[in-house]
Amino acid sequence: MSDERADESAPAPYEQARWHDDGTYEPLLSEKDDTTVAVSSSLPDDLTRDELELPALPEPEVARHYTRLSQMNYGIESGPFPLGSCTMKYNPKFTEDVAAHPGAQIHPLRADADQQGVLELLSELQDALASIGGMDAVTLQPPAGAAGEFTGILVARAYHEANDDDRSEVIVPDTAHGTNFASAAMAGYDVVELPSDDDGRVELEALEAAVSDETALLMLTNPNTLGLFERDITDIADVVHDAGGLLYYDGANLNSLLGKARPGDMGFDIMHFNLHKTFATPHGGGGPGQGPIGVVSELAEFLPNPQIRERADGTYERYAPDRNIGRVHEFLGNWLVLVKAYAYILRHGDEGLENVSEMAVLNANYVASQIEYEVPYGPFHHEFVASADADAADVAKRMLDYGVHPPTTKWPEIVDEALMTEPTETETKSRLDDLAAAFNAVASEDEDALASAPNRTTARRIDQVTAARNPRLSWHALDD
Amino acid sequence: MPYATHPPEDLDAMLSAVGVADPDDLFDIPDEVRFDGDYGIDAHSEREARAAVEGVLDGSTDLVEFLGGGHYDHYVPSVVDHLSLRSEFLTSYTQYQPEIAQGFLQALFEFQSFVVELSGLGIANASMYDRATALGEAALLSSRVRETSGNTVLVPDSLPDRIRSVLENYTDGPGIAVDTYPTSGGTVDVEGLRAAVDDDTLLVYAATPNARGLLEPDLDAVADVAHDNDALFCVGSDVVALSLLEAPAAYGADVVVGDASVLGMPTSYGMGLGIFACREEFLRQVPGRLVGASEDAAGNRAYTLTLQTREQHIRRERATSNICTNQAWVALRTAIHAAWLGPDGLVDLAEECVTGVADLCARLDELDGVSAPVYDGHHFREALVATDAPAADVADHLREEGFALRTVADGGDEYLAVCVTDTNRDRIDDLVDAVAAYGGSR
Amino acid sequence: MTFEVPDEFRYTESHEWVAETDDGYRVGITDFAQDELGDIVFVELPDEGEELAAGDEFGVVESIKAVSDIYAPVSGTVAAVNEALFDAPELVNDDPYGEGWMLELTDVDADELDGLLDADAYEAQTE
Repeated sequence: MSDERADESAPAPYEQARWHDDGTYEPLLSEKDDTTVAVSSSLPDDLTRDELELPALPEPEVARHYTRLSQMNYGIESGPFPLGSCTMKYNPKFTEDVAAHPGAQIHPLRADADQQGVLELLSELQDALASIGGMDAVTLQPPAGAAGEFTGILVARAYHEANDDDRSEVIVPDTAHGTNFASAAMAGYDVVELPSDDDGRVELEALEAAVSDETALLMLTNPNTLGLFERDITDIADVVHDAGGLLYYDGANLNSLLGKARPGDMGFDIMHFNLHKTFATPHGGGGPGQGPIGVVSELAEFLPNPQIRERADGTYERYAPDRNIGRVHEFLGNWLVLVKAYAYILRHGDEGLENVSEMAVLNANYVASQIEYEVPYGPFHHEFVASADADAADVAKRMLDYGVHPPTTKWPEIVDEALMTEPTETETKSRLDDLAAAFNAVASEDEDALASAPNRTTARRIDQVTAARNPRLSWHALDD
Repeated sequence: MPYATHPPEDLDAMLSAVGVADPDDLFDIPDEVRFDGDYGIDAHSEREARAAVEGVLDGSTDLVEFLGGGHYDHYVPSVVDHLSLRSEFLTSYTQYQPEIAQGFLQALFEFQSFVVELSGLGIANASMYDRATALGEAALLSSRVRETSGNTVLVPDSLPDRIRSVLENYTDGPGIAVDTYPTSGGTVDVEGLRAAVDDDTLLVYAATPNARGLLEPDLDAVADVAHDNDALFCVGSDVVALSLLEAPAAYGADVVVGDASVLGMPTSYGMGLGIFACREEFLRQVPGRLVGASEDAAGNRAYTLTLQTREQHIRRERATSNICTNQAWVALRTAIHAAWLGPDGLVDLAEECVTGVADLCARLDELDGVSAPVYDGHHFREALVATDAPAADVADHLREEGFALRTVADGGDEYLAVCVTDTNRDRIDDLVDAVAAYGGSR
Repeated sequence: MTFEVPDEFRYTESHEWVAETDDGYRVGITDFAQDELGDIVFVELPDEGEELAAGDEFGVVESIKAVSDIYAPVSGTVAAVNEALFDAPELVNDDPYGEGWMLELTDVDADELDGLLDADAYEAQTE
């Protein structure tokens, strides 16, 4: 091979595609064409617009535009993507073909009898997730992880209210995902922040001090955002339950537990699954995801409307749980994500799913063992948080030059200049070595090299301050 | 094992590097919570998994849908699949490292521009989950905006229960009440609205086309009623309808929400794409992600997520919304579809939504025992149809003939509802024949 | 790194300063605070005429990565706000004790200033 690398440890050379045109990369559609059409309609004039001004391009030019844009974008097939807490694993191709099956193109307002295929799949997926989470009932409706949190909190609130138990607080550890705080606040709760102990875990004494008869819910992710398993989880559950509260599991880190442990067995009452993380449905540049929630049997009657179940005759139906909280999406969220996740689960089966977590945890530990940055907290599982000895944001920018996506940076704040790294199970050893080499190459560089990065990406360092001081959010605003 | 297998020599090297004999030794999980059971899920080869899922999906009946009711489709050109499925788009993450994600950022910037053009408002975000959650967010925004101070959101009495339920869940936390104002003849009863609005009203919502398929004839007046009471006016619509209709900002809308997945997505069991546009002065109260233009160190225009201090990962419990994962890839598909149509194509498609349902209603109206549309006015995609026979019986009969239609309860009556777009218009003749064969008065 | 802490000003633990002027009292955030926040991109201030009690949240400063509430160091009536900050929030970074001022308060009880930190005490807090 002609491109054999001279130095085994040097990161691979990298250059991202860069289309260029006089002060911009790929021009905007509106710069390629700007057509104003006079609108004529059978409707009366007072209902319609006079004209519509948009780009008018022939299909070949549309195809070229978006192909060029795709070339200036980094996906999981471009290289390693170890964003902590995001679980950027390879998305199996066949699941896209399954989702494109004509039988998936069904309208939700059909009668139950006319959508049996959909309902069977939903019912089977509810059961599979219940089994994986150790939960008694599952709703598939929430369209994202944060929507799952919100739904779970509404279920908890409905449960407490049904017991005439008025509670006002949700407890969230300081290391939790920002969505936990925001979801609790959206549901009308006061958020009580729980400090971590010196090991980065929940401190039982602090928790005991924090719970009261105002505690509706404690939201935890386990392993936590440092990748550490909350060893005292059953005691934590007892403290919360003894205070009359419920325990919520944030499923963002479930990729470390498949086949090994189940939130339901740890004492969690409610959990959400991030299908776009654990079950490999593509992240799509930010979405769509899907955030089903599982609950213990006492909470099942509060799940959103509709739920799906199998009838005695083997057919399937939708039904409204007795004291359901209503809806969190007009229909059932992102149906195609559900189809892909179900296909992924069937493909793997028990053994394959357990292997996912084993390899995810091994890969994380392997990368950590190969990098020069300190990893202050452990033993960690599918992700670790390294501490950069420089500005973590700059480290990340420089890593881009080595053809890898950087870790999540500066969070959790408990680690100085945090580099939260989740390699996932779908990287080979040689790719993990590339990733470690990128870490180490950056670690050896001086501040200037980091501050001037990136150089090999489509765009050089982007001025965030100007973007925020003078927001220009559409092509209409560019002339301002 | 699919997708995650190390050859033995690599596995050995990695295990020895981390100092364990077995990957299982890396799990720091107390015995009492170790899972030693099984899920009971069998593994499948790719061929088997595909066959299994497709086999399940094939269990739904083969029907021609005239359903609508909040989930609509138009023909999606092949170019949308082929471009949006490029893995650099499909498998990428939220653009927190903008230098390496210019392509998607630009596509979202163009999507925002498209929504700005259609709504006439100053800013649009990069997506919400669907039109119902977008309305929920609009209600929350209205309670945060300084000029309004009340506790009630007003919606039409014909608002579908599904949307109302989502809205109530969004507004319940901050203690905002959802109340209705009357409609008459299928559209907003402006005098009834005026009577319902007071200084406690935060937001007045109206949709066009509305739940009866009618285009609202007098939204200027609705805007005036809202503004006379210092309430915000929120309009619900979709990106195809807005291509033809007057831009809501022109008659005073402060916020526009609705659905954009009418472009770019086939029928997909209600999967949506919420749009959210509003006046520029609400910029810092906008929920969700915003893509802005800036410059990079090479002096070129470049795009980045901006004003992130509004969002949950920075402002936590004081964020404008809890939304994180959104519908970015659907927005990409919508943008591609819109670009493919161009302004002429968009207007033509929208006009077909006006003429298609009018055609069908005219044909049905000629049948004995059938009267269509129930309400006078201009319809878009959908209309209600009155039948002398119980609507449910007619729908059951049509199902036997291979058509899926829904019924709608409205003011004590039950009607048949029809929805016509370019994807089912060529089946209108068959549908009319099937209704005729049953006889509307049976 | 050392930060400017003018001797004649008074300070709060939450990093606001207050200084007497000919017309009343000016309020802003300290050099230390602006540095911690980084490039400021947005400032939100109250309406003129608003009455503030000591400790009231009166506005918000935003940088790219953080948002911070600003609290009234003393009670008073908002006589003026620095409208220049709406178009040029960077003034807070460039000149936190001068052109980056935020409020002018009147009806201030001068005794309340005695409860605030002096320059030495504030400097000690930021070390």
